[in-house]
Amino acid sequence: MGWEAVYLQQVINGLSLGAMYALLALGFTLVYGILELINFAHFNVFMVSSFIGMMALEFFGLSGQSHILTGLALAGVMAFAFVATMLVAGLLGVAIERFALRPLRGIPGTVGMITTIGISYILFNLVLLTKGAGSFNFPNPMPRVAWTIAGATLDLREVLIWGVALVLMTGLHLFVNKTRIGKAMRATAQDSEAARMMGVDVDRVIVMAFFLGSALAGAAALIFGLYYNYTSFIIGYTAGLRAFTAAVLGGIGSVTGAMVGGIIIGLIEALGGQLIAVRWTDVIIFSILVLVLVFAPTGLMGRANPTKS
Amino acid sequence: MAERETITPGSIGGLAFAFLQKASPLQWVAPHLRAHVGTALAFVFAIAFPLMIDRNDADIDSAANALAFASLALGLNIVVGFAGLLDLGYAAFFAIGAYTYGFFASAQFMPAWSGFWEPFEWLHLVARVHQDGGDLVHFTVSFWLMLPFSAAFAALFGILFGAPTLRLKGDYLAIVTLGFGEIVPIVVRNWPSVTNGAMGLNGVAAPQLFGHSFGINATPYYFVGVGLVALLIFTSTRLKSSRVGRAWMAIREDEIAASAMGVDRVKFKLLAFAIGAAFAGATGTYFVAKLQTATPEMFMFPVSVMILVMIVFGGIGSVWGVVLGAVILQVLQSWFLEDLSQWLHALGRLIGVQWLQHIELVSSIELIFGLILVFMMLYRRQGLIPATRKVRALSLAEQTARVELAAPAPAERVRVLGDMTYRGPGPLLEIKGLTVRFGGLVALREVSLSVPAHSVVAVIGPNGSGKSTLFNAVTGLVAPNAGKVHFAGHPIEGLPPHVVLGRGMARTFQNIRLFPNLTVLENVMIGMHARLHTGAVGALMRLPGTRREEAAAREHAIEILSLFGNRLIPRIDHVVSSLSYANRRRVEIARALASNPKLLLLDEPTAGMNPAETLELAQQIKRLHEHGLAIVLIEHKLDVVVSLADNVVVLDHGEKIAEGTPDVVRRDEEVIRAYLGRSASLRGAAVA
Repeated sequence: MGWEAVYLQQVINGLSLGAMYALLALGFTLVYGILELINFAHFNVFMVSSFIGMMALEFFGLSGQSHILTGLALAGVMAFAFVATMLVAGLLGVAIERFALRPLRGIPGTVGMITTIGISYILFNLVLLTKGAGSFNFPNPMPRVAWTIAGATLDLREVLIWGVALVLMTGLHLFVNKTRIGKAMRATAQDSEAARMMGVDVDRVIVMAFFLGSALAGAAALIFGLYYNYTSFIIGYTAGLRAFTAAVLGGIGSVTGAMVGGIIIGLIEALGGQLIAVRWTDVIIFSILVLVLVFAPTGLMGRANPTKS
Repeated sequence: MAERETITPGSIGGLAFAFLQKASPLQWVAPHLRAHVGTALAFVFAIAFPLMIDRNDADIDSAANALAFASLALGLNIVVGFAGLLDLGYAAFFAIGAYTYGFFASAQFMPAWSGFWEPFEWLHLVARVHQDGGDLVHFTVSFWLMLPFSAAFAALFGILFGAPTLRLKGDYLAIVTLGFGEIVPIVVRNWPSVTNGAMGLNGVAAPQLFGHSFGINATPYYFVGVGLVALLIFTSTRLKSSRVGRAWMAIREDEIAASAMGVDRVKFKLLAFAIGAAFAGATGTYFVAKLQTATPEMFMFPVSVMILVMIVFGGIGSVWGVVLGAVILQVLQSWFLEDLSQWLHALGRLIGVQWLQHIELVSSIELIFGLILVFMMLYRRQGLIPATRKVRALSLAEQTARVELAAPAPAERVRVLGDMTYRGPGPLLEIKGLTVRFGGLVALREVSLSVPAHSVVAVIGPNGSGKSTLFNAVTGLVAPNAGKVHFAGHPIEGLPPHVVLGRGMARTFQNIRLFPNLTVLENVMIGMHARLHTGAVGALMRLPGTRREEAAAREHAIEILSLFGNRLIPRIDHVVSSLSYANRRRVEIARALASNPKLLLLDEPTAGMNPAETLELAQQIKRLHEHGLAIVLIEHKLDVVVSLADNVVVLDHGEKIAEGTPDVVRRDEEVIRAYLGRSASLRGAAVA
């Protein structure tokens, strides 16, 4: 492969990673936008969801990458897997909000965040204890179809990932901007007190934010499994931190920002690994996180202000 | 009259703890000696511990590990508990301390021998290793020397990592520290020439004392650990009850108010980061000397979280609490979980339950940590040993006692308040053309006003007219876009709030910004911050000078509180969040007075007070004025303004529309229009 092809290939990879990070980043941004809470539980809601996605695919007797499906069967199985994973993940998010975070609402400081670290630990270790420390082969029924573009390979799975991400993000955008509850969400994000006085059921809005954010994490988890063909109890931490960086880079609280930030982080990961060295990827991404927070805390299109106290 | 306590699952735990506290084994000791006796008992127990368990080396070893984590918990407690800066990457400083010792006490880095190294050899810092093809340098720096050096080196990184986070609020600060906490182990792993990469440093020298190496016997390490923890407990308690500790707690409670009361936020936050990091650096050296090896895995995110769990469990901000939390969790991990698993297995065999026989609690320790975090946050946020002790509530008789406003004789008042009169040339405060813009909104447009010495100026105007912005701009909380502010003859525009306070201008806030979880006395003593001088070193040494300063400050605070008669004195040890609204206003004024200002800025001091309370406060303000204090007052109650002010300035839409004596201003057409609208002013004219 010539160098152009190498870079094109990395751009393709980066876009796929970016789509995944964007979906995951949306969960951080939706919850932050409304509660001003950094939700560490989101890391491992993502991880748990990948196991749910695996079970959903195994439900059809799929295992490994040898059971290939085509046509309607493939579409049906995939649609089921995504819907089931997103639904269960969404309910997990709602349960976390209801039982661990709602009793703490209104308490200032870092109490909520410390609680989400605890929840994240609980999820992480429940999976570790029940599933073990090994990594699992993730079922992938997609046929091996690929196109060659200027020397780079474009897989069917990549097209699928982009398609799913595009549909979900468009859906979220329309939901937030065109529906009644979406309007309530935006109002609550601006000023929850005022929204409450105008008759918005703020509890419902918060539940909705957790449901949507966690459901999108579910979709991201399925994408992770289909992309890397494995899952394990440790995947939440790295992916979660990268997605969080994406949310911060885009401007936490901003839905569009999370999408843009996710794509940028995906590209940085793919191209940074190519240009510098994979072992420094995390340092690059953490440095971006620190630099953005310190020098441009509102991110690319954020309105939240991390420096106000 | 006692309120019936409703019993919820959460309060049952609280009741149990309350019972334990009542049944305290130190009941027979005089109250003022209890702390000392408790400390002495803990120390004797720690010293006698190896004998009590028959010198079982494995158990002493886990006790020594517990001490290492107690030290870390004490260090994180400075940052998180005292200063309120949530640090999720604290293990990074542990790693820095560990690798610093590992580097200077192992064969990892061996440059070629040259004459340069001879003085160091003479100082026993390096040894010359004879080898074919050229001699090499072997670092052999003593453990005892490295202990303070690693602490200092880690403190340097504490400042380095702390500096970029200064402006960030709590949760973002946590994320940035988490980022640094990740970067450090990655750098360690990717820098093999210094750290031996993922393999880790090996063959780190054990400490020596009088020529004897500690070797691998746990007992000497245990005693070093006891010494280290004792030193850190001493440091923490001394700092906590000093000017430094009060400044940290003020930052934790309300950063803006802290800086408005004279606390240099940058300096004290960095100090907290540095001291916290120093604790971790020393502990890292201790830990590596004990293990004689260091790998990057020892310092990852889970370690930072474990230390956080320890302080949350023990009680955030409570020195003995975090030690207890660390020791309990470590002991749990190394002793009880194994036994408990065995018991559960036996139970499972007995009742024939399969999964009970396979449960491994040791590997579930992180699950237990997670559960501890969530349940402590939900049901007992103050931890096992709360940082603040509960005080007795006032009795009904005390609460309803007749208000007695002692009116101290003028001479007495001079002693209490010190000299507050400005005697320099020109006005005390001179504002010229002050303009403040927020984006497109002009909050203040070229406002000029002057406050002569020994005068009361009232600033009035409709809501949103820029009154509070004027205060914020003058005291340095908001940077003005244009204009000059001279105070006591010197320009002060653009100075940070704590410097402005130091120059002699103190303020209160419209929406009361006290330090809610601190006591009345502590709040007032923070007001004295700029007038006191004790730094971290002074607080540790507690020399007679420091003691005198502290005692005088305490006495002065009580005197200032007594200006409000019996309103505040009985409540001196109560946390201010439990006070009534009017009393909180009074505490805020007392706090401002404690800084011994020349000019007092009061932002709606009587807001929310009933007429009797308003009258009482107005009289008190008048007395302060009689004493020589100049006052600028934002006030809506016109009777208060008329009775107090020499001069009234009226703002509307950020512009000064009138100025003069209260009588003149009250008749000013423009003012009537601003307040009541055009038609009212026409009607007023018709009536006149």
